[in-house]
Amino acid sequence: MADKKRNVRINGCVAAAQAAKYADVDVITAYPIRPYTATMMALAQMVANGELDAEYIVADSEHSQLSIAHGAASSGARVFTGSSGVGVQYAYELYSPISGSRMPVQMMIADRTLDPPGDFGSEHTDALSTRDMGWLMGWSCDAQEAFDNHLMAFRIGEDPRVLLPQMVCQDGFFVSHITTDCELPDSGQVAEFLPPYKHPYPLDPRHPVSHGPQIMPEQGPPLQLERARAMEGAMPVIEQVHDEFAKIFGRRYDPWVEEYMTDGADVVFFLQGGHGVTARHAVRHMRERGAKVGLVRLRTIRPYPTDRVNEVLSKFKVVGVVETNMGLGSVSSGGSLYAEACAALYESDKRPLVVSFMAGMGGEAIVLKEFYWMTNKLLEAQKKGKIEKRTHWVGFEE
Amino acid sequence: MSTKGTHIPDWLQVPFAGITPAPTQKKGQDLFPTGNWRSIRPVYRDKMPPCNNACGTNEKIQGYLDLVKRGKYLDAYALIKEDMPFPSITGRVCYHPCEQACNRGKHDEAISIRAVERFLGDLGQALPKDVVTAGAPTGKKVAVVGSGPAGHSAAYQLARLGHQVTVLEKSPKAGGLNRGGIPDWVLPQEILDREIERLEQLGVTIKTGVEVGKDVSWDDLAKNYDACVLAVGLTEPNSVRAEGEDKKGVLYGLPFLRDIGMGTSTVKLGPRVAVIGGGNTAIDCAREALRQGAQEVTMITVEGNKDEMPCVPEDLHDMLEEGVDLLHGLAVTSIAGNGSVEALQLNPARFTGVVNKSPIAVDRDAAGTRFAVDNVIIAVGQHASLGWLPAEFKNDRGTIAVDAFGRLGSTNFFAAGDIVQFGGGQPLMVVNAVGDGKRVAFNVDRVLRGETLQPRGMFIDVITDLKRMNMTYFPHFPRVPQALLQPESRKRTQDEVIQAYSEEQAVEEANRCFSCGTCNACDNCYLVCPEPCIIRADRSNGLYKIMVDYCKGCRVCIEECPTGCLEGVPELDFDTGVVRMDTAFAISPGLHGRQAEQLRQVPNLPPKDIVNWK
Repeated sequence: MADKKRNVRINGCVAAAQAAKYADVDVITAYPIRPYTATMMALAQMVANGELDAEYIVADSEHSQLSIAHGAASSGARVFTGSSGVGVQYAYELYSPISGSRMPVQMMIADRTLDPPGDFGSEHTDALSTRDMGWLMGWSCDAQEAFDNHLMAFRIGEDPRVLLPQMVCQDGFFVSHITTDCELPDSGQVAEFLPPYKHPYPLDPRHPVSHGPQIMPEQGPPLQLERARAMEGAMPVIEQVHDEFAKIFGRRYDPWVEEYMTDGADVVFFLQGGHGVTARHAVRHMRERGAKVGLVRLRTIRPYPTDRVNEVLSKFKVVGVVETNMGLGSVSSGGSLYAEACAALYESDKRPLVVSFMAGMGGEAIVLKEFYWMTNKLLEAQKKGKIEKRTHWVGFEE
Repeated sequence: MSTKGTHIPDWLQVPFAGITPAPTQKKGQDLFPTGNWRSIRPVYRDKMPPCNNACGTNEKIQGYLDLVKRGKYLDAYALIKEDMPFPSITGRVCYHPCEQACNRGKHDEAISIRAVERFLGDLGQALPKDVVTAGAPTGKKVAVVGSGPAGHSAAYQLARLGHQVTVLEKSPKAGGLNRGGIPDWVLPQEILDREIERLEQLGVTIKTGVEVGKDVSWDDLAKNYDACVLAVGLTEPNSVRAEGEDKKGVLYGLPFLRDIGMGTSTVKLGPRVAVIGGGNTAIDCAREALRQGAQEVTMITVEGNKDEMPCVPEDLHDMLEEGVDLLHGLAVTSIAGNGSVEALQLNPARFTGVVNKSPIAVDRDAAGTRFAVDNVIIAVGQHASLGWLPAEFKNDRGTIAVDAFGRLGSTNFFAAGDIVQFGGGQPLMVVNAVGDGKRVAFNVDRVLRGETLQPRGMFIDVITDLKRMNMTYFPHFPRVPQALLQPESRKRTQDEVIQAYSEEQAVEEANRCFSCGTCNACDNCYLVCPEPCIIRADRSNGLYKIMVDYCKGCRVCIEECPTGCLEGVPELDFDTGVVRMDTAFAISPGLHGRQAEQLRQVPNLPPKDIVNWK
């Protein structure tokens, strides 16, 4: 069904559903869990209305949901699925098999804090815990970016040089349930950008092959090496696809990091996802008051742009990592993003000080006042030339 | 970039994401030789089907039934002919121990093997030329004395082995017990004639009217032939040791039948005939008596009831259908009459079961009964006539003493059949005599070729336990009945009583065969293997191949094998710790084998110059 280019005001969940619709997915597998459920509600309506011709399969659990997605992808279908929080965890077994069999399944994640107790709020731990399973992964900060990232992820993951599944993440509620302006493209633009999907080795009874056979121990390393090559090989593809996206749709994103007001900045925040929107406001306010502060928002965490993060963060004196995830007993004894940032900086000649902030936990908003408080800590560290401590629990300290 | 500069060696090149050709294809199995996870290996190990084992000449019964199933009648016929010369005869007369042993009998009804054999035998009879040919000439001359079942069989096998065989038969017509002991309405003479013709076509010379001891001596045989098989049978009827046995009208079973068979009978039976004896010959005599014009035929046995009679139950049943009366538990103590038989004196008697001098205990003190008859036919067994035999080769049963190979001492004389009397001293049945003749012929052949005689000591795994098969695959299905002439119409004629199977009936009956313990190419293993690693090379016995490099030993094929020919053989012998698994670090030409090769190449000690070591 041909769609005209139009401006709408939608939330992140609907944006993701719209992207799946534009991509004309063949199979959708669903199992309800808040907050991502809204995406599946929207898609169910589209299929029911005849706007989208797809198999819509409601599984009996997330494990089945991903299993069905795996099987459907093996037959050569373009598959869309998704989950949140503990649902993401319940399907954990399938992440490595799907990427290992090189099936470019796309999964939408609307983050939700892991239990216990039940907490609907956003925290990135659900998806981040799967970050080394061979899925392309990145966070969007609003509905428009979510829509765009979903569309690009299909193109990147299905590229014959890559063939990897993708997790396109957005913060629960901050992105998934807050409506923002979003431009939906003309169907013709999408047709130009995203060719029909064709897997090179689909299951076909006329040409029987084995998918996922048992192998000998020595056959594991070459397959892992090839998966590693695919992940690294995705990096130039990601850059190329972002360029083409900009040409066709007119919106240009840096594939790896968004730098906001970093010119002349001494200290920067390093974060992912929806809190980047608040951070932009806070940075702008503090710049107006003379503080040399900026924002570096990581857009793609897998494959991790190590060199780019090194290059960008080395420009500053102090980096404040805003975690929004749990890394209990981790390097910083706070979140897991700190380690990713520090590791990228290890080989830098001009290594900045790095501080980690446990903020936005349990789905709490990080209010402007807290960004000011964190900026103060960063500037203090810059002045003293050393950090007060590695991790601050924002809101729980003076 | 961590993957920069990496190189995957050729021998570890695996297909994209491990997506490989199906394991049904060679390449697919080479790539993933997962067989070394196996602890049990399925092995096709054919067992001895009980029918083959029970058969007196070990016909490959399961084998020919299987061929009949597939419509390969000529192959089936040729398979029988390996073990016996005349399926057309045994297909009519055999007491079919195979059917008694048949495992299907425990399930519903035994396979009607004899009827299928007869179908094949008749097919062989109809062929313009037999499928069997004489072997390459050895230049050795062998005499076979006697042309009954054992002699016929020995002559047949010796001719197949290339020896020049001469059969010496004392009667005017060849056939021995086949002709003289089996009535026409069981075995029509033309069938036997054709089989003897077939024997002659193999190059066997048959000399009739030649009696050993009279026309030819022991020394003549030793001088004129390289070897000799004595298959003279038991020719002399036993007496009942009753007073008046010399009276006119007293007949003996085998001579009675023999004279009718040879066409030399002059007997005219009176209206009332008694037959003494409870065996197969007695039954044949009773039924023949009806056909020779007797009005009332009574069979008198020492056995206390029908079940104790040493006969084939079906024949007894058919005899009773024809109207023969039975009297049990009686023995003839005297035969009364003025010159001719008028009556029998019967006294209570019982069979003691002791196979020696006096197996029958007669109560002579009892009053006894008088039984009026016009003729009496005595059919209580027979004994040998061995006046011509050197005394050293006679045993205490009055038959020939042979060693385990059927040989008379260190001479080149062998003996087979009734004259040897294996087992309990009872006369052999046709098929046992045939088997005896076959085994002796093979031993004669070994002696003539200078080979060592080997006693048969092989362990035979006869599959008799239905649990070793998967009975789920065999729905109950009754046997195909053989048509019989009605008793009223048949009992006065020489027409064959039991009718032949049609082709459809033979196939239907053969289809009931379980193929106990023997692969019959049913494809079940091929279909149930979940991997799959069973290769179907041909639709024939034992021709599946298990790709052991790939088989994980899940046992599904073993459990689902209907016939029980698949066995799980442990790869590890846990008692001795011996690793039999030839796939562990193995093995195949696949990848794992390459790695094992590389592992073996690693030196035991690290080199001193570790930095420059490559």
